[in-house]
Amino acid sequence: MIRPLILLLGLVLTASTMAPPVFAAPVAEVTPLAKGQVLRGRFEQLRFLQGFQAPLKSSGTFFLAPGLGLIWKTEAPFALTTVMSPAGLVQEVGGRETMRMPSARIPFMSKLYAMLGGALTGDWEGLSSAFNITHKADGKGWRLKLEPIRADDPEMPIRAIDLHGSRFLEDVDLIKLNGDHDRLVFLNQKLESASPTPEESELLARAGEP
Amino acid sequence: MTRISALVWLAVVVLAVGYLVVRVHDGLPLRTDFLALLPREDQDPVLQRANDAVSRSLARRVVVLVGHPSPKEARAAAIRLTADMTATGLVDLVADAFDADRLKRLGTLYFRYRRGLLSEANRALLAAGEGEAVATKAMAQAFGVGGIADGNLLRSDPFLLLPSFFADLPFPLTRLRMDDGMLTVTDSNVTWILVMATLTGEPFALDVQERLVGAFDRSAAALRELYPGLQIKCLGAVFFAEAASRTAIGEASILTILSLAGTILLIVIVFRRVRPLLLNMLVVGVGIGGALAGSLFVFGELHVASLLFGTSLIGVAVDYGLYYTSSVFDPAGGAPPERLCRILSGIVLGLLTTLLGYGALALAPFPGLRQIAVFSVIGLLAAFATVVLWLPILDAARPAGHAAGLLTAADRMYAFWEAAPWRHARSLLLLAALTTGLAGLALVHTDNDVRRMQALSPELLRDQDDIRGLIGTTAATQFLLVEASDDEMALRREEALVPLLARLKAEGALLGAQMPSAFVPSAERQRENQVLVRTALEEPLLSRQRGMLGIDPAEAGVNPSNYDILTLNEALGSKAVPLLRDLVLAPGLHVVTLQGLARPDAVRAAFADIASVRFIDPTADFSALLGKYQQRALLLTALSATLMFVALALRYGWKGSAWVMAPSVIAILLAPAILSLAGQAFTFFHAMALVLLLSVASDYAIFCAESPGDRRTVTLLAVWMAALTTLLSFGLLVVSRVPAVHNFGSTMLIGILLALLAAPLASRGRQKAVPPVHDRLAEDERARVV
Repeated sequence: MIRPLILLLGLVLTASTMAPPVFAAPVAEVTPLAKGQVLRGRFEQLRFLQGFQAPLKSSGTFFLAPGLGLIWKTEAPFALTTVMSPAGLVQEVGGRETMRMPSARIPFMSKLYAMLGGALTGDWEGLSSAFNITHKADGKGWRLKLEPIRADDPEMPIRAIDLHGSRFLEDVDLIKLNGDHDRLVFLNQKLESASPTPEESELLARAGEP
Repeated sequence: MTRISALVWLAVVVLAVGYLVVRVHDGLPLRTDFLALLPREDQDPVLQRANDAVSRSLARRVVVLVGHPSPKEARAAAIRLTADMTATGLVDLVADAFDADRLKRLGTLYFRYRRGLLSEANRALLAAGEGEAVATKAMAQAFGVGGIADGNLLRSDPFLLLPSFFADLPFPLTRLRMDDGMLTVTDSNVTWILVMATLTGEPFALDVQERLVGAFDRSAAALRELYPGLQIKCLGAVFFAEAASRTAIGEASILTILSLAGTILLIVIVFRRVRPLLLNMLVVGVGIGGALAGSLFVFGELHVASLLFGTSLIGVAVDYGLYYTSSVFDPAGGAPPERLCRILSGIVLGLLTTLLGYGALALAPFPGLRQIAVFSVIGLLAAFATVVLWLPILDAARPAGHAAGLLTAADRMYAFWEAAPWRHARSLLLLAALTTGLAGLALVHTDNDVRRMQALSPELLRDQDDIRGLIGTTAATQFLLVEASDDEMALRREEALVPLLARLKAEGALLGAQMPSAFVPSAERQRENQVLVRTALEEPLLSRQRGMLGIDPAEAGVNPSNYDILTLNEALGSKAVPLLRDLVLAPGLHVVTLQGLARPDAVRAAFADIASVRFIDPTADFSALLGKYQQRALLLTALSATLMFVALALRYGWKGSAWVMAPSVIAILLAPAILSLAGQAFTFFHAMALVLLLSVASDYAIFCAESPGDRRTVTLLAVWMAALTTLLSFGLLVVSRVPAVHNFGSTMLIGILLALLAAPLASRGRQKAVPPVHDRLAEDERARVV
């Protein structure tokens, strides 16, 4: 049920980096991706779980190819790859699959597609149909807060999403219903005019297998 | 004397009518389930209960898909349709497996027993000693981006065994997704919303059908207007049943009007009076009323099939009335009692032979046939008493002479069968009949597939295919029945079936199966799992896992000494597991439902040798039942004919009896032969028509045989009228679109025509040596009158 969050995250990343100028001023400052561009960078994730004294900490690199998908390569505390594409999600450790979710099996996925597609075309209606969006600019950049419109939707495991960034999306805080939350920080983000490497293409393709 | 008997009969009829009024006032206790017709000897109570429960739960399912290119409009339409259907109070919406409360309830039920619950994959890994892989999977979920780990869950289930078990639960295979609280599937740019409900009433009850389907149709029509381009597809026994009833009622009302109008016209034209019509209606009315009252008294309830077939049998009763009323054309004339006396022997013999036939039916171990027999016997007796005791009193008619033309025609028919010039024609006809009979009977093939006897609405069948295509597989009507001494043994048996089912799945024979043991493993399996978890996971890996996750063992929710076992009763009682209730019929009696069943034969064969597991195919079973009924009906027809032959031999001698039986035998042999030449398969309904045909044809023959030369043309005229009325009521059924009814009608149509044509043959059986009964009776009667 929380898996859609991954996609949501992908969406948010894509949306914020891709948002065309028609969107509200603060977000428009996000550098848009040109056709054929990909985004690479590092991430750090702190997962705060109820009843745990310390957050679960992981870090690695990410790769985003608009329309194709997202690859998260966790390096610490152990090597782990998570691949998300419009067709589904796959996770593997040491070449062994630990999770596979074809989009047909993930409830909520079609909504994410609608939002993703909407974001790519500058149509924010998809996102605003599920979330109330408030944004404000501060000195160093912009801040968005997403809150579900229907808080009682059993398919909506999120209480709120906080996004912060300037030229790029810099950090995200995903607050879940039970109080657990994930904090993701993005570093060293680079736009490249390049295609995915063969290895990346292969990973992206594999996520869509049934 | 006659007046006293008539009054006594009046008292009986009044009593019967009174009884009937009281019973009907409480609601006529009609049974409609076909299981009630099962032969006693084959009634396996276990099977019957299983069949009943499964088909009931299947029959009550209502599935509707609402589709529109715009998801928003599809959703709005689905909400309206749901509201309109719920407003009838006849359906419960099916809360789906995805609903949040249900997930919570599932969690509450299973959490305590999680150490004994393993997914197939985890169980295989642990059994192979790969606890490490299970641990890594959990770690990946805990640390992976957006992973599913929930703090509380991770602390008490650090290997995340329970989520794996949940993912393994065999909820129905489907292409549907939950979207904003509604099950949705998108196909070629159309968004389809699923509305699923369970009928609270009986799908085969007419008023339920009318109210629900009526509300559904009105709502659908309004929505189609509101949202152009909206598509609505529905699936459910109630829709099929409603369409079938609508066809049947439509046909029945047209046929009833035609047959009634035809009969009235016939009687009025032939008699040129109204009274014969009223008299015959009285005979039929008393016959049906008496039969209904008598059967209700004997059985306490009636099956709707017995009612239908029995009522049609009483159509035979009208023959007695017609035979009597036709006597006004008798050139010998006479007062009503006198005319009755002349035909009495024919009516008595006709009644006796018919009673003999149905007496045999009553001995059959088929409850359905027995009810029909009792119903018909009582009805025929009542009709007979009415003709004999009332008609002469109520009949003021004086002899009529206007039927000379008809009588001449009847005379010509006798001439054909008897006069020398027609000898060659008769031989030719005999040859033709023989050839047709032999060729036809050689070609006869039986087919009792019940699916080919119903007229299923083609639109609904298309909807059904579309829905299956859109939402994926639905449960097959076939299922496996697991029998064991108790639930634990049944669960173990199901677990033993898993490899076989997996093989069948791999071979493409089916797509999936749902069994209770997937929701609640046997206690034996849970104990094995607990041992695996302890030895392959907890002992070697638990402290490392906790260390990596940073869980303080003191705060962990794991209690290593918890070896509780989840029982099936607890799971059932919790009502947390959808579908489980439908799978457990009784302690030790479980159902395994099959999905996407592509090759029923392969599955049947695979389970043929496995003790205590049976492949049940209700449709095939019902078809087999019809086949059995068909055989019995044929046997009984043969037995009845033999009994009639012997009984008639007492009066006409063996040779004479053979002549009297000839028309009936010709009819019941040639009718199916001709139909088989025309390409019709011989079904149960053909056989039932033969039962009726025998009694009708023998009546015609006996009437002819009992008439002396001077009166036989009048008798033949009566036979013609009787045959015409029978054709008008049963022969007309041939136009029905329902194959079962058509089969019955076509047999009657051809059979009655044959019986009518061959009836004069019977008069050859008349032995002049034996003085006819009626002469003696008439003398007695005269003596009494004097």
